Amino acid sequence: MDRESARNTINTLAPLGTVARKAVGVVAFGAITGALASLAAIGFVAAVQYLNDLLLISPRSRMMTGDTTLLIVATLVVPTVGGGIVGLFNRYLIPGGRAHAPPHAIEAAQRGHGRIGLRGGLASAVAAILSLGSGASVGQYGPLVHLGATLGSTIGRWTRGDSSLGTVGIGCGVAAAIATAFNAPIAGILFAHEVILRHYSLKAFAPITVASTLGFFLANNVFELTPLFRIDHIPLVNALDFLAFIAIGIGGALVAVAFMKSVLFFGRLSGRLPVPDVFHPAIAGLVLGFMALSVPEILGMGTETLRFAIIPDAFGVRELALILVAKIVATALCLGFGFAGGIFSPSLLIGVLFGALAGYGLGPLLPGELQAVNIFAICGMAAVTSPVIGAPISTILIVFELTRNYDLTTAVMVSVVFSNLVAYRLFGRSMFDVQLSQRGVDLTLGRDKVILDHTPIRDYVTTDYVALEPEASCREARRRMVEADAEEAHVSEAGGRYLGTVNLSWLDAAVDVGQADAPIGDHVRRPEVILQVDTTVWAAFRRVGSFDGHAVPVLAGGDDERLHGVVTEPALIRAYLDTMDNIRREEHAAP
Amino acid sequence: MKIVPLVLVMLLTILPARADEQPPLTIATWGGAYAESQRQSYFRTFTEETGIAIREALYTGGIEPLRVQRPPGERWDVVDMTMADHRHACAEGLLQRFDHRVLEPAPDGTPATADFLDGTYTPCGIGHTVFSMVLAFNAEAFAGPKPHRIEHLFDAEAYPGRRALRQEPDAIMEWALLSYGVPIRDLYSLLSTDRGLRLAFDRLERIRDDIIWWQDPAEAPRMLIDGEATMATGYNGRHFNASVVEGAPIDIIWDGQVYEIETWGIPVDADRPDAARAFIRLATRTQALVDQARYIAYGPARASAARQVGRHAGTGVDMRPHMPTHPANMERAIRKDSRWYARTRDRLTERFDAWLADG
Repeated sequence: MDRESARNTINTLAPLGTVARKAVGVVAFGAITGALASLAAIGFVAAVQYLNDLLLISPRSRMMTGDTTLLIVATLVVPTVGGGIVGLFNRYLIPGGRAHAPPHAIEAAQRGHGRIGLRGGLASAVAAILSLGSGASVGQYGPLVHLGATLGSTIGRWTRGDSSLGTVGIGCGVAAAIATAFNAPIAGILFAHEVILRHYSLKAFAPITVASTLGFFLANNVFELTPLFRIDHIPLVNALDFLAFIAIGIGGALVAVAFMKSVLFFGRLSGRLPVPDVFHPAIAGLVLGFMALSVPEILGMGTETLRFAIIPDAFGVRELALILVAKIVATALCLGFGFAGGIFSPSLLIGVLFGALAGYGLGPLLPGELQAVNIFAICGMAAVTSPVIGAPISTILIVFELTRNYDLTTAVMVSVVFSNLVAYRLFGRSMFDVQLSQRGVDLTLGRDKVILDHTPIRDYVTTDYVALEPEASCREARRRMVEADAEEAHVSEAGGRYLGTVNLSWLDAAVDVGQADAPIGDHVRRPEVILQVDTTVWAAFRRVGSFDGHAVPVLAGGDDERLHGVVTEPALIRAYLDTMDNIRREEHAAP
Repeated sequence: MKIVPLVLVMLLTILPARADEQPPLTIATWGGAYAESQRQSYFRTFTEETGIAIREALYTGGIEPLRVQRPPGERWDVVDMTMADHRHACAEGLLQRFDHRVLEPAPDGTPATADFLDGTYTPCGIGHTVFSMVLAFNAEAFAGPKPHRIEHLFDAEAYPGRRALRQEPDAIMEWALLSYGVPIRDLYSLLSTDRGLRLAFDRLERIRDDIIWWQDPAEAPRMLIDGEATMATGYNGRHFNASVVEGAPIDIIWDGQVYEIETWGIPVDADRPDAARAFIRLATRTQALVDQARYIAYGPARASAARQVGRHAGTGVDMRPHMPTHPANMERAIRKDSRWYARTRDRLTERFDAWLADG
């Protein structure tokens, strides 16, 4: 009895100990990843600011210099030289020739391997610092997200030595980066789930929350980053005003789609340019410099312009329209031509300009005091940004966390929903997803499809089959197949090249008509479906539908025509179930 | 690290013995009530402790006085400048490099680096006292609601009357832009753009007809008392004196105060740099700054002293709420960007004068 109760005590204690250990592990993992990603983000922002001041990009440094000739020279030379250096980064340091960005993180998370190369990630971050530092019209949040994801993935893989924590680490790094950059911890958590992970599991949620909170704490208490925008006075919202917010949502979607299509267009243009890729960013830098001589607002992140846009009367209507168009063109040019940077901050600026513009148009039509341009500007900002990054909920939360105002957040919500509906129909879920699908990662049918489409059948191929040479007699072939209890045998010539398959019933028929000693060569048929070891499970599934044999021959792949083995339909079903099991385990895992 | 203060303490204990032979230490400072507060709180103490007499030289701002060649014995050993001028002089090589290890920790042991306010450390010296440009108003001039936000300076409908402003862009530009709801940390970035300047002048335009200009800081409180203006900008110490010491009905609006820091530096040609360092060490002690705050409403630039600010020596008034550094007064305080002003002064003045001439 005593022994029994003692064992019971131990049984209840042991799980408690495990729970405590796991909880500490989760917190520690989230905290370390979050702190690193957050510090990296703070360092990134500071480095860009430093370069902007040094290179006469920031308005403050331009005003303090005051030398007009020097400023003109700097405006032309700095982005050009910056582009030249970024071009070299693309050519020699970054695998793939273009800076890595959030799509890479999304792909790593969606395919479940959670691997983001540290070297490519860091080189991309440096390239982005140089791009932003020299005034390129690109954003900082994309690079921050990718840098956070890179660090998270690396730490996750070091901690476990396998891929299971890589994806969670990516989520932690991304959440901390967003929480730091926007001073918005809840939006950080949601962004990581909505844009990167796209599923909610407690195993990921817990450390991501820790990471995001820590990022917010560091940004707020230790380094005091300025919030993106701040609005003191929000006017009362009437019921009729919601019509205006819907209109801004739809208009914002059109602007967002135009913007994304421009980026893709300049990307294609860059591909057709009869100049080596390494020079493309420098060309974009020079063009940007010339544009900036008349519209200096397009240089860099445009933080000052963003602030002005929510001040009534800071811009005239024509001026707003000019800057809006110039910013779209400049950003599409810089991103399309290979500057490293994000699409998030330019969207914010384009959106806020569009919103202000819409405000001047719509405000006078509305009753009440809602002539204030700021609420329209914020709605426009959210309406343009959310479909570009594919993050409606996070965008709404960023606005809420920055303003803590229900009226404004409700208005933004309406704009965001309509904008995403329209943009999804016209373009797709987001710029990220469209870029990914151009690279062969189609997320529109869900994660399982992506993973199945990237899992080769290699592991499910068996070498347990009857191999024959074409010279073997029908009798001999038949004997060996009966011995092995096989209905099919696979025939390769002496050099190893696969010829085809023979079927037991065909051999039976041959023996019956007295051809028992003839070689089987005449009876070999090439099956309609032949796979290769690197064929994906998804592709295999699509093709075996038209297959009527028992096992599909699998070749070594490439030019190698040798038979590697065969894969049976039950094995393919097992591959499918294994993949789905892994996804389910990940998406429903407890910490 | 700890050797330096130790050696200084030893020096200070040895020095008095030879007091009679010591030539005086020349300190260049501003005169008036401000210099009086310095005499009361640390000039006297310094002479008592070291036996070195202090000779005051009058300094009225700018960096040109530091370029003047003076014969040995009459050269300035220490100079008390605004942060902007101090930085300018330092960049021009007119001041010596300053080793901050000479500074004393707070009485509770907090190291000086953690005790002095942010931005007080410069390559050539140490900021010691916070003074500020504030908006004040005649409390009897408004029957209804009284102005309490810097925006009210530009709202002549709700808060009518003349505004007495110093004829320079300083502080006015910051306030004009702040009244649009711009975050304080972005003020100087936005003022660096044409658009920012235009918005600021737009605001100023609203009250153009209500402005009267002053040049001498003493005029500002007088204009309020005489009823020439209902609101006036000015240095907080002047308004404090007028209201608390002289009993005039003047209230200060701390919202949007633009504060700056007085800074000690040692000229390159100082006769007695060692004694100068010993003086700076003594004059920036927590107790010295606490004492000074009994005579003038300028805030100590170190946290330990700011916490101990007590009562006015003459009137017994609690000085804490009158300090620029009091937490309630710091809620929306602007730290004057002295580097920005140092390099944009000419262009800024040009725009300002053009706006003046425009009206």
